Amino acid sequence: MLEYLIRRLTGTIPVLLAVAAFVFLFVHMLPGDPARLVAGPDATPQDIAAVRADMGLDRPLVMQFLRYLSDTARLQLGRSIKTHQTVAELIGERFMPTLLLTVFAMAWSVVVGVGIGVLSGVKRGRWQDQVAMVLAISGISFPGFWLGLLLIDLFSVRLGWLPTGGYGGWQNFVLPAFTLGTAVAAVMARFTRSAFVEVTAEDYVRTARAKGVPERGVIWKHTLRNALIPVITLTGLQFGFLLGGAIVVETVFAWPGLGRLLVDSVAFRDYPVIQAEILLFSCEFVLINLIVDLLYAVVNPEIRLR
Amino acid sequence: MSDLALAAPSLRSPAAEFWRRFRRKHVAVVAGCVLLAMIFAALAAPWIAPYGPATPDYDNVLAGPSWQHLCGTDTFGRDIFSRILWGGRISLTVGFVSVAMGGLAGVVLGLISGFFGGLVDSLIMRLMDVLLAFPGILLAIGVVALLGPGIDNVIYAIAVFSVPVFARLVRGSTLALKQTLYVQAARSIGVRAPLLMLRHILPGTLPSVIVYCSLRVGTSILTAAALSFIGLGAPPPSPEWGAMLAEGRSYLGVADQITLFPGLAIFITVLAFNLLGDGLRDALDQKLR
Amino acid sequence: MRHVVPRMLLAVALVFGAAGTAHAAKDLVVGFDANLTGLDPSDLNDNLSQSATRLMFEGLYMLDEHMKLQPQLAESFDASEDAKEFTFHLRKGVTFHDGTPFNAAAVKFSFDRAGNPENHLKRQSLYVMIDHTDVVDEYTVRMVLKYPFGAFVNNIAHPGALIVSPKSVQDFGKEVMRHPSGTGPYQFVSWSADTLKMKKSEHYWKPGVPKLDTITYRSVPENGARIAMLQAGEAQFIFPVPPEMIKALQNSPTITIFNEPSILVRYVALNTTRKPFSDPRVRQALNYAVDKQAFAKVVFSGYSDPMDSPLPPLLGYYQKQGSYPYDPAKAKALLAEAGYPNGFESTITGGAATLAQRGMQFVQQQLAVVGVTLKVEPLEAGVLTAKQFNVTGPQDATIVMNYGGWSSSTGDADWGMRPMLYSKSFPPVLFNLAWYSNAATDSAIEQGLATVDASKRATAYSEAQAQVWHDAPWIFLGVDHTLAAYSKKLHGAFMRPDQQFTLTADADLD
Repeated sequence: MLEYLIRRLTGTIPVLLAVAAFVFLFVHMLPGDPARLVAGPDATPQDIAAVRADMGLDRPLVMQFLRYLSDTARLQLGRSIKTHQTVAELIGERFMPTLLLTVFAMAWSVVVGVGIGVLSGVKRGRWQDQVAMVLAISGISFPGFWLGLLLIDLFSVRLGWLPTGGYGGWQNFVLPAFTLGTAVAAVMARFTRSAFVEVTAEDYVRTARAKGVPERGVIWKHTLRNALIPVITLTGLQFGFLLGGAIVVETVFAWPGLGRLLVDSVAFRDYPVIQAEILLFSCEFVLINLIVDLLYAVVNPEIRLR
Repeated sequence: MSDLALAAPSLRSPAAEFWRRFRRKHVAVVAGCVLLAMIFAALAAPWIAPYGPATPDYDNVLAGPSWQHLCGTDTFGRDIFSRILWGGRISLTVGFVSVAMGGLAGVVLGLISGFFGGLVDSLIMRLMDVLLAFPGILLAIGVVALLGPGIDNVIYAIAVFSVPVFARLVRGSTLALKQTLYVQAARSIGVRAPLLMLRHILPGTLPSVIVYCSLRVGTSILTAAALSFIGLGAPPPSPEWGAMLAEGRSYLGVADQITLFPGLAIFITVLAFNLLGDGLRDALDQKLR
Repeated sequence: MRHVVPRMLLAVALVFGAAGTAHAAKDLVVGFDANLTGLDPSDLNDNLSQSATRLMFEGLYMLDEHMKLQPQLAESFDASEDAKEFTFHLRKGVTFHDGTPFNAAAVKFSFDRAGNPENHLKRQSLYVMIDHTDVVDEYTVRMVLKYPFGAFVNNIAHPGALIVSPKSVQDFGKEVMRHPSGTGPYQFVSWSADTLKMKKSEHYWKPGVPKLDTITYRSVPENGARIAMLQAGEAQFIFPVPPEMIKALQNSPTITIFNEPSILVRYVALNTTRKPFSDPRVRQALNYAVDKQAFAKVVFSGYSDPMDSPLPPLLGYYQKQGSYPYDPAKAKALLAEAGYPNGFESTITGGAATLAQRGMQFVQQQLAVVGVTLKVEPLEAGVLTAKQFNVTGPQDATIVMNYGGWSSSTGDADWGMRPMLYSKSFPPVLFNLAWYSNAATDSAIEQGLATVDASKRATAYSEAQAQVWHDAPWIFLGVDHTLAAYSKKLHGAFMRPDQQFTLTADADLD
């Protein structure tokens, strides 16, 4: 087990290095000069030269690249071009809001989504199935920013029940987590349903049924457990996406998260921040994939870790 | 449709078999009809739209729905109903073309990856992982920044989003199909790799690809809207639905018709594509008989 | 709904005569679209961060709500006849938030630091004309310039010239942007992610103020959400309010709309070195072809005034030049005269924000009437600046029509013209995106800068404005109104014409 973990983790180092190099090239290829963007349109050439020199942007690109690689390898993430804060501090401030929002959104959407999916799977083809699926799929069909603005208008302005946005107590989480989760819940419901239906058709479920195992037992013991595998995969994938910061939801709800930081940093071509964020996202993906693989073994002990 | 369904071995004519089962999915049939109506309306826009999509009328701005303007007018006095009809062409094109391109690239990569395995497989799949981990917005900004604004570049940007998902999907099916008897048999009689992939494996992956395409078209239309939200979508005066919705969002509470109708158009279309996709999946999946 | 319970409690308290014993905290929350970029006044160039530093720091002089020069940490100044020597007499008995005294040495320290190129501070250019700063005595400081600079006092009334505590710089170095220490009415508490908190300074030199206990800046990028915040009572002041949303707030009994002309001019810079824009008749034709009244109505919901000079009315030395009345027939005639009877095709480039896209679409629609077909090219901020500034001269400019705006950050006519209309301001030096070059305009701009004599400056800028108006290097569109909204409970909060948020010293919440 431990050996497996070590092997998996060391195996990702080249991938992360490749990502680091790729991101550096990518952001430097984008048109736009951070010094100019940070200094503003009425900056004089002296002002811009000052910014450039200050951030080492006046050095040759190759030197900057080597410097960046060696710094990254030593986990030195540098400072933001825009605010001069250390990148670690900038990301640190915004990590928890994004993580918590992701956890809340995933929590409700997985519970509701899997619930609807199972209901649909059990009642396959009947009206309950159809109503549940149309409802679930409605969630995925809303442009996120529109839904968010409508929710704010209803619950914050008209009813005054919930705050309009911002990071804070549990009330602050309700609207953004709901908006973020609707799409996930829909995907979950649909995925669970089809996994459920697929497993139902498997021989061992038929056998169990034929042996006279009560329907409830068939559903919980034989079907759901195996249907969970793809659902776990999907949960992991969605979690990874959301951890990257949901840009639209964070913008609409003024959430101080990683997605908004990324948008701001891209707008200013704040190279160190963009680079560090992408590296962080890649690490998160790797970690989540690993957790997903471990969970497979928990759900179904027949799956061996190799 | 018929030659795609040919891949599924069945005693009845596969097309007939598919149709027999699809017909029973009432929700999906309704969704399909709605989509056909939408496509027809978009195609017929030049003849049925009462006004031009970009014709301003400064004396009649922000008017509510009326008999002259079924969905009201926007900030330039343009007729929203006509814009939605014309916009259907763009939004549906964005959906179809981006999925077609992303799907094609994904299918090719997935086939190669699954069929050859080994180093090629690891390389392609790691690349796909990087693409998945790479935030979509950055990718979109990159594409639009390097190629310039324009609806075609928006399509490319969205197509890139779709590639890794298709690649994963097709790789999975390819791995499974490689082990099937008929592929093994074909291989043993010396059928060449390209032919093997095209003739014997590709058709087997198509049902799931088709299903996924129909689901993905909706996602692409939503992605276009999200791109407009961050100012990188279809440039004006394009009546692309997402652009209309994003442009009109600051009129919420002032002139709700500007967002309501394009929002509904997106909602109905995406919902219909998803319901249709679900119906197709049920009808195409052999195990569900 | 959430206010009901506290109000009931208050009512109960009043009934039982317990009211008035506790002092209700006066907490002001303001919501803006952008995020702060830092809190070191000499290293900033965005209005928002500057407005925050102006609550915590003070300058020798300041611009008040009408952009009029007012003494702040200086009580008065004397200038030499040749505009090369300025002596400031400082206010006595002022201390920084870190407890150190404010004096001539602190002023010299602040100016030397900000002007030293080795410190790489973004506002260095404000100080380039200073040769050296002398401490005359504890409360007198003299600045000697390298060359005459008539707008000098305006220049140092800029937030980039706010006085920082020498001790804070020595203690924190570069990190001083996270640990601001000035002499202002409010002092720093915290700044994290998108929220800045300040509290009342107990030792402010002006007695009886400030009245607010805390001020919180929040960044709320989405327009609809920001307005909802004000409506829900979570914020007491928001900026900006998109013009089309004023209607949604107008009838609210608890909200006041702030609507005043700004000094932000909107125009389309025409590349005067390229055909067809090299012909002044074409540029004039385009000015006749755009209906400025309709521009104000359609794009800004009426909250914009037509431009009638390259300078906005609220900037000193502005002089009305006339107008290019809407006259498509005349525009067509001029185009035909210039050799374009059937119009031409071109591209209009600008930012990707909704309002910019709307403005460009409007110009597109208007020019279509006279046969000029435009392609609208909205660009992401980074790409746009790259296109604007990654050039060596007019020959490799890729933008032929640039939709944009300008607001003189010094509040002086010089900075309202020189960056965009002076031949030495071609990109990448400054913002002359029209590549406009006229010897008469150049010399007028130079004369305006070379003197402090108001009447000489007035003559110079009058000449410059007339020349530019005639040459029409821009399509002159309009002067934005500054639109903000605030709770009726709030007093003393406003936006300056340069769109900088400002609180009066006695700003208060009921």
